[in-house]
Amino acid sequence: MHYGLLMSIANMLSNGINSIVNSRIGTQIIMALIEIIAIFAVISVAVIILVYMERRVCGFIQDRLGPNRVGPFGILQTVADMIKLMTKEDIIPKKAHKILWGITPMLLFVPAALVYAVYPFGDGAIFADVNIGIFFVMAVMSQSVLMFLLGGFASENKYSFIGSMRAVAQMLSSEIPMAFSILAVVMITGSLKMSDIVSAQSNAWFVVLQPLAFIIFIISMIMETNRTPFNLVEGESEIIAGPFTEYSGMRWALFFLSEYANLLSAAILTVTLFLGGWHGPLLPGVFWFIIKVFIVIFIFMWISWTYPRTRIDQMMSLSWKILLPLALLNIVVTGIGVYIYKWMY
Amino acid sequence: MQGKGLLVGLGITIKHFFRKKETVQYPEEKLPMPETFRGGKLVLDEKKCIACKMCSMACPNKALDLTVEIDENKKRHMKKYIHKSGRCLYCDFCVEACPTKAISWNRDYEISCYHKDELTYDAVENNRKDDTHE
Ligand code: SF4
Ligand code: SF4
Repeated sequence: MHYGLLMSIANMLSNGINSIVNSRIGTQIIMALIEIIAIFAVISVAVIILVYMERRVCGFIQDRLGPNRVGPFGILQTVADMIKLMTKEDIIPKKAHKILWGITPMLLFVPAALVYAVYPFGDGAIFADVNIGIFFVMAVMSQSVLMFLLGGFASENKYSFIGSMRAVAQMLSSEIPMAFSILAVVMITGSLKMSDIVSAQSNAWFVVLQPLAFIIFIISMIMETNRTPFNLVEGESEIIAGPFTEYSGMRWALFFLSEYANLLSAAILTVTLFLGGWHGPLLPGVFWFIIKVFIVIFIFMWISWTYPRTRIDQMMSLSWKILLPLALLNIVVTGIGVYIYKWMY
Repeated sequence: MQGKGLLVGLGITIKHFFRKKETVQYPEEKLPMPETFRGGKLVLDEKKCIACKMCSMACPNKALDLTVEIDENKKRHMKKYIHKSGRCLYCDFCVEACPTKAISWNRDYEISCYHKDELTYDAVENNRKDDTHE
């Protein structure tokens, strides 16, 4: 069987460990631990890069330079900010439900990290290639809405609570068009498995076959990740930082971390579903994967720093009155297309 | 067509992304101040100054404290030209009042200091310092 670069490294590693430990179960446990650490390493390194990238892209679009003082080209700025956040005073609101309030930031990180288990990073490099892959992603991703609600509720602050209600409204209405746009991809592939979806795109990327689904998916992904123009969960002048209003220091950093982990997973999903995953000429799959993910993230940032934010009612009517009917129409058209295709061949 | 504006917007931002940046890298680069900028320290041209004290009389805030010396030829010299910049409004009345255009601003905007008395300085003494410097 043909394997990509990442998979060969993993095989070499597990052979090496096997020769040292000399037991199958021991090797598997150690490999599982390494894989878990790898996921967290990928997320934290990516977040550090993404925060830096976000600020630089934002600066460049606004004719500024962005952070460029700490370290060469300012790449250590995020690290410095993290240290600052960690050393800050930990303020707990007097009336908050302490336990709920305290565990929310950590809980929010769980679904954000969990979805990485089923992403195909390269040829064969997928932690768990479950046969309901994409379904799993959607199910786990929509859990984060619970934490937003929990955080807002436990803070005992009206702004937090309004913010978390908004988060719920927004995420529920973005998930439905998103699910229907993904369904179109699944209909063509005939499988929910992530590796099947990627290998189905070895000839033609789904962005060519499903342009409408791609656009709907991108818009609903921006809503799902709470980015401008749909960052209604926050709003300095009306509900301050929404559900995060009462959080500070390290706890707030965890919210921030999962926000960017979600952004990364939105980009990975876009690449996997519509842009051919790790497929690409010459370079090993994983490089193509990284390049594509960064291009998609750049597009997300480009969109955020271009448009002003919408009102909540505008966002809701966009998703229920425009995106949902379009996604349904797309499914009908795809269904007919698939039927004709099968009838012809 | 509806939605065209969205693409136009994206076009504008990407153009700005590649455009020259406006940021001035402050401590290394500094913007030159315009001719009319009022600020910094007063520079006294002692050759032009006739020690008439018109400047201190024009000052609404008594920020100028001048000491005039008369030499043996009955010629007036400025001995001390104290500018209490902590009291100064930077109204430019002193500069306007001067009949010989002997004072001007050095247009330095980095004038913050740690101690109150650093705000007061003697322009004549500053001239001496500059001389020994050269
Ligand atoms: S600028 Fe105005 S306040 Fe300052 S020294 Fe001159 S006249 Fe006085
Ligand atoms: S008004 Fe001008 S000439 Fe007269 S004392 Fe002041 S600086 Fe000198």
